[in-house]
Parts: sequence; structure tokens; C-alpha cells
Amino acid sequence: MSAESEDVPLYAERPEWSDVVPVPQYQGVDALAPINYSAEYQDATDYFRGIIRMGETSPRVLKLTRDIINMNPAHYSAWQYRYKTLIAIGADLTEELRQMDDFALTNMKTYQVWHHRRLLLTALRSRDAAAGELAFTARVLAADAKNYHTWSYRQWLLAHFNDEERLWAGERAWVEDLLEKDVRNNSAWHHRFFVVWSSGVREGDEDREAVGRRELAFAKEKIALAPNNPSAWNYLRGVLEHTKTPLSALTTFVQLYTVSSPSIAPEVMDLDNPVPTEGAQLPCVNALEFQADIYEQEGGTQITKAVEIWKSLANEYDTMRKKYWEYRIKEGLQTTHT
Amino acid sequence: MAPARDLRPTPTDGYPTATSFLQQDIEDTLLAHLPQCLASPDPTATQNVPAVLQRNNHMQYLLRNLRQGFPQRYTGQDASQAWLMYWILQAFSCLGVGMDGETKRRAREKLLAMQNESGGFGGGPGQASHLLATYAAVSALAVVGEPGPGGGWDDIDRKKMYDFFMSVKQPDGSFLVCHHGEVDVRGLYCLLAVATLLNLLTQELLEGVPEFIASCQTYEGGFGNASFPDWAFSNGYDPTTPRPVLGEAHGGYTFCALASWLFLQPYIRIRYQSTAAGISAGVNHVPPTINVRTLLRWLTNMQGTGIELGGFKGRTNKLVDGCYSWWVGGCFSLVDGLLGGASTATREPSNETATHAGNPPASTEDSEWHDIDDAIFNREALQEYILFAGQHPAGGLRDKPPKHPDSYHTLYCLAGLSAAQHRVVPDHSRRDDLLRSWNADTARGTAVVTASAGEQERLDNLRQESFLDALCWLEDEGADKFVGGSANRVNATQPLFNLTVTHTELIMAHFYQQRLPSRLPKTTSKSS
Repeated sequence: MSAESEDVPLYAERPEWSDVVPVPQYQGVDALAPINYSAEYQDATDYFRGIIRMGETSPRVLKLTRDIINMNPAHYSAWQYRYKTLIAIGADLTEELRQMDDFALTNMKTYQVWHHRRLLLTALRSRDAAAGELAFTARVLAADAKNYHTWSYRQWLLAHFNDEERLWAGERAWVEDLLEKDVRNNSAWHHRFFVVWSSGVREGDEDREAVGRRELAFAKEKIALAPNNPSAWNYLRGVLEHTKTPLSALTTFVQLYTVSSPSIAPEVMDLDNPVPTEGAQLPCVNALEFQADIYEQEGGTQITKAVEIWKSLANEYDTMRKKYWEYRIKEGLQTTHT
Repeated sequence: MAPARDLRPTPTDGYPTATSFLQQDIEDTLLAHLPQCLASPDPTATQNVPAVLQRNNHMQYLLRNLRQGFPQRYTGQDASQAWLMYWILQAFSCLGVGMDGETKRRAREKLLAMQNESGGFGGGPGQASHLLATYAAVSALAVVGEPGPGGGWDDIDRKKMYDFFMSVKQPDGSFLVCHHGEVDVRGLYCLLAVATLLNLLTQELLEGVPEFIASCQTYEGGFGNASFPDWAFSNGYDPTTPRPVLGEAHGGYTFCALASWLFLQPYIRIRYQSTAAGISAGVNHVPPTINVRTLLRWLTNMQGTGIELGGFKGRTNKLVDGCYSWWVGGCFSLVDGLLGGASTATREPSNETATHAGNPPASTEDSEWHDIDDAIFNREALQEYILFAGQHPAGGLRDKPPKHPDSYHTLYCLAGLSAAQHRVVPDHSRRDDLLRSWNADTARGTAVVTASAGEQERLDNLRQESFLDALCWLEDEGADKFVGGSANRVNATQPLFNLTVTHTELIMAHFYQQRLPSRLPKTTSKSS
């Protein structure tokens, strides 16, 4: 924060920087689209260009790059040079990580913040540091549950420290908790897919058929809670595709969601086919689409039933996607005829 | 008579969460931006809708940015100066605003000051070379540059740029955006666009890239930003080992991945030719595939409903944002191109894979296709979102109300408007014309990388096919649609580059040293 407070002198005024020749930014005579920089920013970046010219890597470079990053977190060249310097002078990378915690929290939308941590973790090769990062990203995601870079970084972290079962052990439960808080958080759904399906087989998950059943049950339960939630339907489809299960395996379940008021025998508790919540607004588009896909997959005369549903989606339930449903009708009919 | 507009709120199933609260808020805001006469249930009231593109306001906004520059709070964009230039200049192209010679000269000077001696462009003068900045600078130079001394184009050091590209290439077919930088498909798109424009493509540059892109597709159908390489590449390459995608399906990354996939079609055709001929079926000869069926489903689901005014969102269960008008709205032309162009009635039936698209099917069934459809998304609704919610009253375009405009959203809203107004698709007869006038010798003569004698033919072939695939896109003028009337027309945009077709032609003709056959506007009537 130093560069922003009034009483800190410019680099140009500091004797300990007098050996550096500042290099002003050259952008042509009478430049178009100039940015009206503050005196502090201009000063610091002039000295940064000077340092690059000298090729210096030293502790004071860390201070300079930190100042620039504070004023412009997206200055990738400053980040790049900072990392090179950290490695060159053998700096304490754990300390660097800790110093950047608050900065990451206030600048969580910046690519460089997360990439810097990834470089540090790669260099550190420490499982304790990785465990710390899982806790840290959990904190960030508690504040901004859909931050793309943070999620991407967390997935990289888990993949990079793949053999550390300790790091992976609580992951599914943790993301389940996030879905408990907001069942519509698509980032969390994607993370679950990453943990369960995309990154190899975890301890305790060796029986893939059982895992498949567990995940379908999970998705169905979440759909029952809030049927008009595309994240849960997409996950369900993802699981079926990944496990090469035909869509028709879910016929009974899906039918509960394709009618406006499903007739349910109250005394029967069918655990495989959880019923829609009381406030459910039915029929829901995703269920109708699913039902039509079942018919299409079955083929033959069933295609007529699929076409009926697609028509109802085009004209009544999902009119914004009319063109898409018409395309599906055309495709469906063409496939049957050939 | 038009059916009544569907303005039902997104259902919350009596189970509100953080996501649905945000969604409800934005639906209230957007509904308030729908003109009263359109919100009314009386369908006869839809006449004379005041849907006006405030051209002059937007032009003034852009001119202020260009001439007066940006206030201090734009310091965060100091590493995006090449982008600021591109966003402004390409937005001018969309609006049909021409520039005087002096402004163009100053623009070239500013852009060239960002080029590094070691090759590539930085985000500003004295900043490290970066793939994104390189794309932005080269694209901006496509708008304001010309051949010859001082024209900008011949000041690009293409040999050094190629060396920079190779220096950030990774074993898994991905590229770092800069030295010590991150990997993601944005950088890859930027590299491929530039390498295609400037005649820098080689087999060596593209080796492994299709496999990388394929690994970035998610279970939802859209693409994430990168995949994890180390498991599959720890000991040579093991294609049976997972390469998990990092990050969920996202509109920006999906555009970049899909456009990259199109840029790669010539390479894929040549690289995997031997499989088709049945010569070899080793692992390295199995062409990678993407799932076009789930991709198309995901893309169409990104369009918001009536109450969201038909704008696009960038991820499932997120809010609409004007910039996805281009990042997602722009994808539909690309899908068309992938499936063989709009003039193909017999689209691939199973749609499971699409590795061989671009090998244009016969164009005998034109009419059948045009009878059925013109686009798979709602073009009118997207225009409404941009016109009613995307425009800031004081000029410039934006994410959504009540946000301020910025250069980025101004361009991508206008480009999205263009994608919704026009249909630009690969044209087979144009491709044939280009092929007839193709001169392999001059194209080879201006390339910066030479191949060994044995590789010469393959490299010539790659250069030729990439040139034809990139330049055969033409506007189908019979398919224009202008909400609010033709006064709202913006220029058509080349779907792969987000430049005008003319700018794309001029710069590519220069760097491949080709004489282009004249181009007559394509006008296909709707009825056959």
C-alpha cells in the first residue's frame, strides 16, 4: 500500500535507487488512447523498465514489483519478473505465499494472482503448503462461490498433488456442503464431476458401478429439491454419458417431472425415484427434454412421441429455443428415415 | 399475429438460493428495460417498437476513448493497451466508421511500440510478449495497417514472432500465454488466429494442439479454460491417461476452443490422412474428436429467456452479460462451419464427432437447408437484449444495466449484434474460386519457415487449406435480419477473427502473396 500514501517518496527521489536509469514508456508522438497514470504508477513503472534493462534480480526488485502490482494487479510483466527474482535470490516462497493471501482475497478476479500461487506451489513441492492452499481457496470460495480462477486453481492443486490421498479425502464432502448451501452453484457441480469422474479412481471409489449409482441418486435427490435447476440435470446427463448408461434407465424418475401434478401414491417411498418438492413448478423443461431424448434414443416409432415433446417445448415451455427444438425435430426425423 | 411474449420469471420451485436471488434481481431490472408496449399482453402493440441503435452516441464514446484516452482508474488496463486499441478500432469497423490517414498512422505507431525485439507484442510498450496482446495488436493492425513502408504490416517481425510462439509451446499441445505465464485456450485461440493471418502455420507448431482442445471440453458440452497435462505426459504421451479439464464450461473459453478447432481442421485433415487411407491405426493416428451434440445443446441453453430479454450468459446458472452476445452468439456460425456450412442439407446425423468437417460436402442440396432454418439461436431476441439493455444512454455498450459501458463491452455487444443480424458462413463456390487462383509458390515465398524437401508438400498443403478455410466465409445477404429496421445495421463480422471480411482478406492476401478473385455478394433467396 506504500505507493498510495502521500508521504512515501517516488523512486526518482530515493537515493538507494539512484543507480537505476528510469525508462519512460514510449508510445509514439501524440499517442492515441493514453491512460492518465498517477505520478506514483508512472514513476514505479519507469523504474521497472529500468530494472528490466539492467536484468537485475534482487530484494529491492521484490519491493518494486509489489508496488506496481498493488496499483495494477493485472501487470503480468511485473508478476513474471517477480517470480524470476524470487527464484533467483532463493527467497522464502512460503513467506511469499502468505504475503499474497490478503492480496488474493481483494483481487480474486485477476488471473495473475492465482497463477503466481500455482508457480509457487510447483516450486515448493510441499504437501503442507498444498493443504494450506486448499483451506485458503475454500475461504475465497466462501466469499465468491463461483470464482472461475479459484476453482480452476483448486482443481490444478488436487491434480498436481494427485498421490496425496490426505488432500483428496475430504473433497467430495466439502463440495457437497457447498451444494447444500446453493444447489444451483454450477461451479460446485463441475468440481464434483472433476473429483468423482475426471481425475482417476479415489480410495474407496474402486467399485465404479456403485459410484455410478451413488452419483445418480445424488443428482436425482437434488433435482427433487429444485427441479428447474439445469446444473443438476447437466450433471445427471454427464454421469450417464460417462458411464455409458442409456437415458431410459431414468424413465420412471423423469416422468415424475414431465407432468404438472404427478400422481404419487403417498404410502410408497420409492428411494430410486424421489418425488418433486412441494413447491416444484412443473412440468420442467429439462425433464421434458430428457423424456424426448429417451424416445429418440429408443428410436423407431417412439420418435413421434419425441417430436410431440419437442413441439411443446418450441411452442409453449421453452419458446426462446424454438429454433433449436425445430432443429431437433428435423434431425430426429432424418435419423429415423435413414 | 405474433404470440404473446413469454415473460415468466425463472422458476425457483419454492426453494430460493443465492443464485436464484441474484437471478430474480436481474430479471426485475431487465424487465424494466423492455419497452412498455412490448411488455403488454396485447400483441397488436408490437408495432413501431422504438429499438434504435444509438450509433452516434457510441461513436462519440469511442472517439473520446481514442482521442482523450482513459482516466486513472483504467490503470488496471495498462497491460491491455493493445486490447484497448483493438476494441475501439474494431468497434469502429462494426459501426462503419472510417478513419483519416493521420489517425491510422498514429494508431500504427502506438501498436508497433508494443512489439518486442525478441518477437511478439506486449500489453504495452516495454511489457513482455504475450499471446493475447499479440492477437490484439495484429488484429488492430489489420484494421489500420497496409503493405509497404510505414504501413505497419511489414514492420511485424514474423520470424521472431514464430520463434516466440514455439518458445511457449508445451508438450501437451498447449501454449503458455507468456514466459512463466498460464496456459489457457484464450492464448491458443490468439496464437492460431495470428498464425493464420500472418502465414505462420506449420505442422511443428500445431502438433498435439487438437488433442489439447478436445481435452478441454466438459461434460456440459462447453469448454473450460485448460486441462491438466502431467498425468498423460509424465513419460512420453499416454493417451489412455486422463487429462481432466480445469474449470467449468464457460462462454469465452468455448468460443476460443471452438474457433481454434476450426482453425485446426486443415491440419487435422492432413495429419490424420493416413488413417482414412487405412495405412495405419496406431494411437497417434486416431484423430481426436469433440462432442458437437452436447456443445450445441450447451450453446443454445446459454441464451436467456424472454424475461432476460434473450441475452446470453457465460455459464450455467449465471447472469446474462452483453459480452457473451459475441462469445456465445458468435459460436453458432462456427458450428455451422464445422457441420459443413449452411449450404449443406445433410448435416451429420449422429453429430457425435466432427473431425472431418471443412472438407466441403457437395452443395447440391442448398435449397432444402434454407427451407428449414436460418440459425439455431434466437437472433431477434439477442438483438433486443443489446438494443434495450446493452446500450448506455450516454454512449457505449455494457454488460447489463445499470452498469457503466467500457471499450470491451462496446465491441463485444456490437460484434454480437452483428452475429445476430448477419449470417456469415463458408461458401463452397468462393472456396473453389480461391483455390483456382491460389499460387503455392508466392505463398511459400513469403512464409517464414521452410520445410525439408520431404515435408514441403505437406506444408504447402497446410498453408493452402488454411488460407481457403479462413477466407471462404461470406455473408449470405438474403439472411439478414434487423430488429428495429435496417438503420440499425452494423457491418458483418468474420466469425473466426472478429474482423470484417474485407480486412481479413486484405491482410491475408498480403501475407500469403495472393491475388484474390473478385467477390460478388452472395444472395440466396429463401425459396428455392
